[in-house]
Amino acid sequence: MKFVASIDPVTRLEGHMKVEVTIDTVRGRQQVVDAKAAGTLFRGFENILVGRDPRDAQHITERICGVCPISHAMAAVLALDSACGVQIPTNALWLRNLVMGANFIDSHILHFYLLAIPDYLDGPAKAPWMPTWGVDKRITGATAQTLIGHYVQAIAMRRKAHEMGAIFGGKLPHPPTYLAGGFTSEVTEEHITKFLGYLAELTSFITDVYLPDVELFGQVYKDYLNIGRGPGNLLAFGCFDLDIAGKSKLLRRGRVVAGAQSRRSSDDDDDDNDDDDNRVKSGSRTEPVNLSFITEQVSHSWYQPSRGLNPANGVTSAQYPKPNAYSWLKAPRYQAQPYEVGALARMKVNGDYTGGVSVVDRHRARAQETIKIATAMAGWVAQLKPGEPVYAEPTIPASATSYGLTEAPRGALGHWVRINNGVISHYQVLTPTCWNCSPRDDRRQPGPVEAALIGTPIRDKNQPIEVLRVIHSFDPCLDCAVHVVQPKAGAKMFAVPSFRA
Amino acid sequence: MTVSRREFFRYCVASATSLGLLPAQLKALHAALASSNLPKVVWLHGASCNGCSVSLLNRIADTAPATTVDDLLINNIDLIYHTVVMSAAGDLAVSALKQQISAGGYVLVVEGGVSTAFGGHACTVWTENGKDVTFQDALKLAASKAVAIISAGTCAAYGGIPAAGPNPTGIQSVSAFLGKPTVNIPGCAMHPDWFIGTVVQFILGNPIDLDEFGRPTAIFGRTIHSTCPYNPANGSTAGYATTFGGSPKCLRMLGCRGPGTFGNCDSLRWNNGVSWCAQSGAPCIGCTEPTFPGPDPLYAPIYG
Repeated sequence: MKFVASIDPVTRLEGHMKVEVTIDTVRGRQQVVDAKAAGTLFRGFENILVGRDPRDAQHITERICGVCPISHAMAAVLALDSACGVQIPTNALWLRNLVMGANFIDSHILHFYLLAIPDYLDGPAKAPWMPTWGVDKRITGATAQTLIGHYVQAIAMRRKAHEMGAIFGGKLPHPPTYLAGGFTSEVTEEHITKFLGYLAELTSFITDVYLPDVELFGQVYKDYLNIGRGPGNLLAFGCFDLDIAGKSKLLRRGRVVAGAQSRRSSDDDDDDNDDDDNRVKSGSRTEPVNLSFITEQVSHSWYQPSRGLNPANGVTSAQYPKPNAYSWLKAPRYQAQPYEVGALARMKVNGDYTGGVSVVDRHRARAQETIKIATAMAGWVAQLKPGEPVYAEPTIPASATSYGLTEAPRGALGHWVRINNGVISHYQVLTPTCWNCSPRDDRRQPGPVEAALIGTPIRDKNQPIEVLRVIHSFDPCLDCAVHVVQPKAGAKMFAVPSFRA
Repeated sequence: MTVSRREFFRYCVASATSLGLLPAQLKALHAALASSNLPKVVWLHGASCNGCSVSLLNRIADTAPATTVDDLLINNIDLIYHTVVMSAAGDLAVSALKQQISAGGYVLVVEGGVSTAFGGHACTVWTENGKDVTFQDALKLAASKAVAIISAGTCAAYGGIPAAGPNPTGIQSVSAFLGKPTVNIPGCAMHPDWFIGTVVQFILGNPIDLDEFGRPTAIFGRTIHSTCPYNPANGSTAGYATTFGGSPKCLRMLGCRGPGTFGNCDSLRWNNGVSWCAQSGAPCIGCTEPTFPGPDPLYAPIYG
């Protein structure tokens, strides 16, 4: 007998999310047979930007998300650097990476301990840990006590990650220091020493506490290696540029297509070489990204139906209510297929993670990425040159079309900007959670989180904690429902065909 | 999101100056925290980015790691509802909230503005009997029994960035929507000490002096520029910055809003005193002001 459970709000994530799962017993096992994920907040950020000075974009778009503001600042300034044709000083390259790296460390630690762990153990018997669903909490006794201690320690550690970022970033969240042409903060020996002090402490925490805890979790919940797979297609825009042109990145751009196993060949011996270029490593099955293959579909979203107009002029018109629609998120698709984004996608695309796609794999890849970034950061600090320039004055063009691609902790992020008469005439943001938490598309294919939920075994249909575990493994951030409201209907394909990654 | 009372008190002592506490008040605070009635807090998110919750996390936990739950069990507040940190989800979470609302006697904290477009459906917060409940209805309900309402951050206090330009989703501030004053702790994000300082005053039962925009005058009683260390009027010899980068200087030629922005960022600084906007060479963008972000380009030297 089918049972529909609506979980609203889905807690322990950023923003407003609702999920509706249909639970039934199939072949003797009670499981999720259908799922609908919905973003329930809409703010219309892109329209707020129209008519503004292009240099305002990084400040405004940071406020899309208080958990990954730096990635929005990064995407915005990359887009504007490119529109201005400005070459930033190398100091600025490292400063941008270091503050964003601090934010990744903060976000990944916050995610595992504060957002994910309460699905697997019971906290102290008071708010905000109680009430809770007391189902299948396998981490108990002394181990649980230890992890709760780490939870408290994690609060301090992620705070320190923010403090580290603020040394150059000025203040976090929402640092004011990113701008086209570079960065505002000077580099001094004192800054460097202070930064390295924080980095050493955080690196120890990641190595000695976070990574072992994730491994422990993976052992206790081994069955979650086979739960929450989703479409299996993985996409990364890549991030942490290692040269001014952005050709080389710490985490490269690419795709892994379901069924085509991504693996590293035995002769691929340069895995510790972060200066590697952006090419596809030999022996892997990583595919390139062509931005013109990305479309955003709205058949199940609260926007007016759209098709076939000039994508460069693509705008969207909200329509509420609307038959069959259930989300403020659109459904981005690559060649009409759903793709998962996030740390697992980045680490698989980069050839750094060889495991599968599941709840446990997402947590493992995120933790392994954290130490990879922290390690790389020490190298970037060493490249900083005190007293040397951090900024090259850009000339804002009267008109330009441009984009900036990077990664937020939770996945691929892109900003597209058009400038006319020196002001923003069009702005488009494609956020990671739009990929992961998207609703059904025009072909009724479920989004990645929806697909990952289907088939998830459920012990107690009235307390479906397994649903939360699958959702949390994606680290969703529903603050992403940023899309524009326009009074006129229009087509919505966001990529300009001439763009190629 | 939660600290032990001991940590909380230690934090208040360490921050007594920035919180505007006198020694006698600290003593009273100690006594207040020793009582068994923990203040109940309900925290609702409207059209927000969660940045103010994240900012709060940046101060509230002290460095001492608690290795047992004992420290956690003795908290200084009961955080009944906060969707980012609470364990419960769905109906279970909402029932905890509703129980508290029925009982009354809680402090309501609101993060984010109030979406009024589409009948409020641009922001829905839970499902009841198969129907989406809008944030505006949830807010009305929670506000009805609250002993005090704090608007945390510029969005809740004044609308903020989501209300800018064409205000696509009809954002209103909490006080405008409810038609009653709230204690406003603006900032994008708000500084955690501003929030904690205000909560401390509530615990002490002290009256909080507010300016015409509902901001505590203890924090927002002067402009940032008036005491800014880079303001030549305060003895700075660094001069005026005409381009970005380099050692900190007065940034008014580059668009600094400090002369028209109220707050104490220059003395308090951010992230445990690590830095602040002007110290990092970035102009103040006026994020604590009711007009933020305003129509002018953020780098336009309006006070230049």
